Amino acid sequence: MAVGESQIESGSESVAEDDDVEARVGWRYTVAQVKRDTTARWGLYIVSFVLFVAVYALIDSNLSRLTFGHVSNYRFAQLLPIFDHPTHIPPPGEGRAHVPPYFPLAEQSWNPLPAGGTLEHPLGTDRAGRDYFTRIVYGTQVSVFVGLISAFIGLLGGTLIGATAGYYGGRIDDVLMRAVETVYSIPPLILIIVFTVFVGGANIWYAVLGVGITFVPVFARIIRSRVLSIREMDYIEAARAAGVRDRNIILRHVIPNSFAPVLVYATLQIGVTILIVAGLSFLGYGAQPPTPDWGAMLRTAHGYMHSNVWLSIWPGIAIMITIMGFNLFGDGLQDALDPRIND
Amino acid sequence: MSSEPLLRVENLKTQFFTEAGTVRAVDGISFEVREGEIVGLVGESGAGKSVASMSLLRLVEDPGEIVAGEITYKGETIFGLEEGPNGELRERDDVLSNEEIRTRIRGNEIAVIFQDPMESLNPVFTVGGQLREFIELNRGLGEDEAKAEAIDMLREVGIPDPEQRYEEYPHQFSGGMRQRVLIAMALACEPSLIIADEPTTALDVTVEGQILDLVDELQAKYGTSFIWVTHDLGVVAEICDRVNVMYLGEIVEQAAVDDLFYDTKHPYTDALLDSMPRPDRTVDDLEPIEGVMPEAIDPPSGCRFHPRCPHAREVCKRVHPEPKIVAGDGEPHRAACVKHDAFDVGYDESPPLEDRGPTPSGEDSADTDSESGLAPNPTADDGGERRE
Amino acid sequence: MKLLKYTIYRLLQAIPVLIGISVITFLLANLGPGDPVSLMLQGQEHTEAQVRAIEQRYGLDKPLHERYVTYMAGLLQGDFGRSIHYRRPVADLMLERIGPTLLLVLSAYAFALVTAIPLGIIAANKRNEPTDHVSRIVALFGVSTPSFWIGIVLILIFAVKLGWFPSSGLVYPWRSPDSVRGISSYPELYYETLRHLLLPMIALGTLQMATIMRVERTQMIESLQGEYVKLARAYGVPERTILRKHAFNVAQLPIITIVGLNLSTAIGGAVLVETVFNINGMGRLFVDAIAQNDYQLVMGITMMLGFLFVMGVIITDISYAYVDPRVTYGESD
Repeated sequence: MAVGESQIESGSESVAEDDDVEARVGWRYTVAQVKRDTTARWGLYIVSFVLFVAVYALIDSNLSRLTFGHVSNYRFAQLLPIFDHPTHIPPPGEGRAHVPPYFPLAEQSWNPLPAGGTLEHPLGTDRAGRDYFTRIVYGTQVSVFVGLISAFIGLLGGTLIGATAGYYGGRIDDVLMRAVETVYSIPPLILIIVFTVFVGGANIWYAVLGVGITFVPVFARIIRSRVLSIREMDYIEAARAAGVRDRNIILRHVIPNSFAPVLVYATLQIGVTILIVAGLSFLGYGAQPPTPDWGAMLRTAHGYMHSNVWLSIWPGIAIMITIMGFNLFGDGLQDALDPRIND
Repeated sequence: MSSEPLLRVENLKTQFFTEAGTVRAVDGISFEVREGEIVGLVGESGAGKSVASMSLLRLVEDPGEIVAGEITYKGETIFGLEEGPNGELRERDDVLSNEEIRTRIRGNEIAVIFQDPMESLNPVFTVGGQLREFIELNRGLGEDEAKAEAIDMLREVGIPDPEQRYEEYPHQFSGGMRQRVLIAMALACEPSLIIADEPTTALDVTVEGQILDLVDELQAKYGTSFIWVTHDLGVVAEICDRVNVMYLGEIVEQAAVDDLFYDTKHPYTDALLDSMPRPDRTVDDLEPIEGVMPEAIDPPSGCRFHPRCPHAREVCKRVHPEPKIVAGDGEPHRAACVKHDAFDVGYDESPPLEDRGPTPSGEDSADTDSESGLAPNPTADDGGERRE
Repeated sequence: MKLLKYTIYRLLQAIPVLIGISVITFLLANLGPGDPVSLMLQGQEHTEAQVRAIEQRYGLDKPLHERYVTYMAGLLQGDFGRSIHYRRPVADLMLERIGPTLLLVLSAYAFALVTAIPLGIIAANKRNEPTDHVSRIVALFGVSTPSFWIGIVLILIFAVKLGWFPSSGLVYPWRSPDSVRGISSYPELYYETLRHLLLPMIALGTLQMATIMRVERTQMIESLQGEYVKLARAYGVPERTILRKHAFNVAQLPIITIVGLNLSTAIGGAVLVETVFNINGMGRLFVDAIAQNDYQLVMGITMMLGFLFVMGVIITDISYAYVDPRVTYGESD
């Protein structure tokens, strides 16, 4: 019975647009599988939570008791409504500071509040007196956007190069794939640092671009092999015989049909991206202080790791949970598309 | 009939406990294998042939389990249940332990040949190494003796240059050659019984012929008994002495090979024979069996074949027939069909199921039939009653 | 013989890639806005003539392609140029620093393989049982946690809190015992090496362990479902032998490939772990070179690490071809 129903549904859709039936049925199947698969469901929960926190931090500028004071160094923040909230900085040793999460203070000699110290600062404050919890929350934004954007750059570049290589074949294919192989052969972290520092100067946007570039090879390979295999399929042959131009075939059939597996891969890559960017920031070549980036926070905290242990712990946990979410979700998607292993 | 058969299977039931429900893959089959004969186990895919044959080695994969019946081999009990003091079923004491089954039965008493020669050999070990390992294990020979034996066996099954081929890897062999290797493997362990699970299905017709000839020849020479699992009645005619026809986990007909072909007693066997291409018939004469076999998870009531049976009558939906002797002088010919007098359940008086006639479009009939297979078709009831 | 041919073929194949690496590195280092001359002068007072002199000395007055040719000619003779900051040949500097990095990466791999393979096999064999779930969760943590943070946590627990292991530095086993303070014999030296190596090894190896374990589990599950395993069972082969021999050998082949490909993540990870643990390897050298805009040194290290990765992949490819009888040493892909 269930089979009959889904046939009817997909049938009525196919009236609208014949071309995409295959892709849509695939999507529907994927969604159904994700709902069933525990791994994918948990991944989805975590990813949704992280995205929610990121967006929430974007919207609610009055997030903590702390608002923005000095935001000029931080580009995301320029998009946000700015509340002029007075900053309270007592003389060293007297009382607690109230400092916004972006406040570009040099690290001071304040004793940071320990974790769980007060309701106001559940994770305490850092050495500059900034609320750590708020900074962790804002860190979500940086990680998530950086992850999404660089995975997207890799996806876009890879699709372009892979499709071109697979479509033209011959010498163009050779040259492009050799180039891609070369980029692949330099360890990503090294390549990104060299790229960031020599081309752009230490800056999060160049880091994002660099990470994106290092992902181009894998996506290019996947897309290329899909293009090559789909080219040989019967319905593509038929379209070609009917006089449809190759370029249109690639754009309308091949790329939509390769999209599901590539997207799964992209989901898994987001986790890797966040991992790499955290490493970059930790080395000082990603997000720069006072940006509340987890990697950069760990870099700062590393200097005080003996005296202020927890400052080195929280950002790491945040990174771990976020990446875990994307990995779980990606794994679940993969299982949904290839149920052979985890049935 | 006088002496005890090599293998006796009685009322064997193997079930798979899945999320969707219990799949009764093998549902109460009984048959025997005598010394030196080739017994066929025939049916469509999904009939339970392979599960039945693997049950004989107690190698049913999870979530499957043998739940009832008795398997006796050379007087030893491979499987058997008894009623415990509290009325629960438990394994009998004389049932061989897992360890005994592994060391004494598998390989050295009962060997197998699988369907897919491409996948059955381990790709990273040499053919000779695999052969030698099984020979060492099952015949207790030393390394050198086992190697000599392996090379002899390769020669025996018609592999040229056996000394050289011994050192080669499976991917260097053709499909037919690999199947010969698997036959050599089975014979080299000197078992009394070989289970051949569709061993020629994956091969070309010409290669299939060669393999069948080879088996025929070697069987005569070594006197090994075979259980030949197949869906191909042509192969059965060529090689088997006696045949068991399986449908949905049950044996529906059991006879000597000639009786089965020339005096068919079950409509399903008839249908199988009619769907088989033969030189004396044109394509137009071929009659494919109506519909598809229903799922073993929820078999039809009464006779399991009735939704597809051209002779089905009202009574077939109600009465579930066990195989009974319906003919045969020396060799009993059993069939599980109520149209035979032996059953006496009022088949002749029962009204036929009306709308069972052949449908013009193959696909349509497949759909309706598989549906009615899951739940008896209500329109069939109405039609039947209106008629008389 | 075939294998030798394949080796030569793979090495020849690597040449264009290595040239490509050199081009990319050279362009990145030379097109950047950072001006090496002003760097060398370090903000000192200088005249136009001084600048000219330095440009001439380092060949910076010549056009880019000429400089590239000169650089490559030097590379072929093992001359990586001179470090601007250290004022020493780049090759010498790298030679000094490569030992600790290799020691770290290799021991991380050893740790990863020794733990991941048994865990993966157990997980596959006890599929969907508690052991499987635990090892899958461990693997998930492993692929989701930055190596440098694992390092930090390890230091905090085992060095700071418990004081069991040192928190920084490395004792080189190839030095003589006298060169290290407080050590007089070789056994002591090796013991100290192990003590220093353990935490960074785990920090760097965890990601590798997790990746290898996942692949191992998947491969073993697939292998255990193979027809050849069914056949072995039907011939009475004991379950242990099936697990250790019949299913195992087939499942290990993809591991070889993974080890090679993961080398690039391991090298990146080494940069971070060396920073956290204060180990004077290539990674630290690289970070310092970047910080000092020492473009000659950066070029040299980038090329060297790219070269190491390419060689690693070739070695694993050849081992794969050696182990898997099915590989045809074809001239085409």
